[in-house]
Amino acid sequence: MSPESIILVLGYAVGLYMAWNIGANDLANSMASAVGAKAITVRQAMVIAAVLNVVGAAFIGSHVTDTIRHGIVSPEVLADPRDTIVGALSALLSAALWVSFATWRSLPVSTTHSIVGAMIGFGVTSSGFAAIQWNVMGGVVLSWVISPLFALVIGLGMFKLIVWLVMARSKPHERALHYSPLFIGLAVFIVVMSFLYKTPLGKTLQVATPLATILSILAAAMVGYAGKWALDRTVRRHPEKGAEAVFRFIQVGTACYVALAQGANDVANAIGPLAVIYFFVTYGEIGSKVPVPIFLLLFGGVGIAAGIVMAGRRVMETLGERVTTLTNTRGFSVEFAAATTVLIASKLGLPVSTTHSAVGGIIGVGLAGGIDAVNLSVVFRIILYWVLTVPAAALTCVAVYTTLRLFL
Amino acid sequence: MRFPFFNLFKPSPLEGLIEHMDKVKECGAAFQEAIECHISNECHRFAELKQVVDDLEHQADAIKRRIRGHLPKGTLMPVDKFQLFRYLGEQDNVLDSVQDTLDWLSFRKEPGVPEEIHKDILLLVEASLDAVDAMGVMLAEARHYFRTYSEGQRAKVKDLIRSIRQKEHEADLAEDLVKEKVFNMGLDGVTVFHMVRLAEIIGSIADHAENAGDMMRAMISK
Repeated sequence: MSPESIILVLGYAVGLYMAWNIGANDLANSMASAVGAKAITVRQAMVIAAVLNVVGAAFIGSHVTDTIRHGIVSPEVLADPRDTIVGALSALLSAALWVSFATWRSLPVSTTHSIVGAMIGFGVTSSGFAAIQWNVMGGVVLSWVISPLFALVIGLGMFKLIVWLVMARSKPHERALHYSPLFIGLAVFIVVMSFLYKTPLGKTLQVATPLATILSILAAAMVGYAGKWALDRTVRRHPEKGAEAVFRFIQVGTACYVALAQGANDVANAIGPLAVIYFFVTYGEIGSKVPVPIFLLLFGGVGIAAGIVMAGRRVMETLGERVTTLTNTRGFSVEFAAATTVLIASKLGLPVSTTHSAVGGIIGVGLAGGIDAVNLSVVFRIILYWVLTVPAAALTCVAVYTTLRLFL
Repeated sequence: MRFPFFNLFKPSPLEGLIEHMDKVKECGAAFQEAIECHISNECHRFAELKQVVDDLEHQADAIKRRIRGHLPKGTLMPVDKFQLFRYLGEQDNVLDSVQDTLDWLSFRKEPGVPEEIHKDILLLVEASLDAVDAMGVMLAEARHYFRTYSEGQRAKVKDLIRSIRQKEHEADLAEDLVKEKVFNMGLDGVTVFHMVRLAEIIGSIADHAENAGDMMRAMISK
């Protein structure tokens, strides 16, 4: 077996493990508020998340990947193709190791930032510090501050808006139905906009900003009023259930969106480096961008789904029991804040994490008085691990790459 | 597993208050039965009922400690932490007063409560427990307010707080009546002291319910 084939086989194994990790851990991010608020059951959450992650990964996931994720390292390091594929394998392995460690320590870290950190480790070892694109690194650092802060403000604002427009009024159920096109519309607007911008699907469609905005507004209005029509025929009959019943309906939609977007965006963290190895082994050459075959995307999607099914149940069940203070209006506010932040930050070119945004959203809703007790001391520990992710993954990669280079 | 959501949420202290209140309600029922038993000549279960009250007070104490012990610095809540503690303290004082009443009665079993004031003592107990019942309803409605932030709900809680105040006033009147009678019945000094102090402790049950209401008023203020 040639060293290249060994690297490829190892790449498949580690890529699958990384995908499994994304599924096992990040499921909580997309489905937590929906399950916590009892909008869907644990089983429904798992099915929805597994299916939508595969769909998102295979059909909306990137069909072309940067050889160096997010361009954090300058393309000069690609001069030696053998170096590059060993580097890709090392980065994948190091990111997976770091994510596993964080999993063990119960801390939310970003898979995106882990792979970015690992790439830096590889770049520094093979070509020195000059190889690092510090402006990209600056964006990563900015995203630590911007994404939670932004989500915090949106979460706080959205919950206050719901209180002001709906909950504080005398007939909240009726008010919720009355304003349902606004809330559904806002969510749909964000969903459509983020698909037109954030995902590779949008990039292929190449819709210009004004047109995308108009399309999003149209879709928002249509879905908003269609949603109200459906609510009028179902939820309206149960005024005793109050505003929460209306938001329960809307929340299912936002949770699905987060799962789909997660599959689409995160699959590259596991499959991108594998695609680089695969491309070199198959075609014997390498560029700064390589195509990702659909079977690899599916492979990643299935890996994520496997993680969801195998490890997700326990996560979701514990969540359902522990997170009881999150009602549908709160859950909607958190999801809306996270989705909106991911859209806007990606538009600014920042590699943001859904995890970071969701944490910000929860604190925002907590500040608005929406959650009975938010443990802020945990937040400092969480932030510490966000910041530690890049150097820790980088150092791991230095060790892994140096070791692998001895053998391969 | 790394779940940000999981670690971020702490058990709701407001749910804890409801749990504590359930013990207060149970205790109130046992207390009333104990007083009736003490007054009646045919009932011999006073010690047993007193034990029930003591056990419930003990359980409620554990809930109180759990709530206080699980709100470290940096816990974000819809209400101020110390207002919540003050509220909980008053709710717990209701139980202490209930327990004190039965203790006080048990110190001097004979001759017990003079027959002439049996009815007045029972009325005072009822008036005080009315205030405690109103406090229970008020807490449940306040819990609902913190879920919905509905203006109507807030008005309802304020009305209930007013009604606690009214009930405390009625308990005060019942307490005064007992004292007045006791002083003018020509009883011996020790019995007078025993009965006056008894009336005061029973009256303080309603006082604590009122204080809890006032604290809740501060918690729901905007």
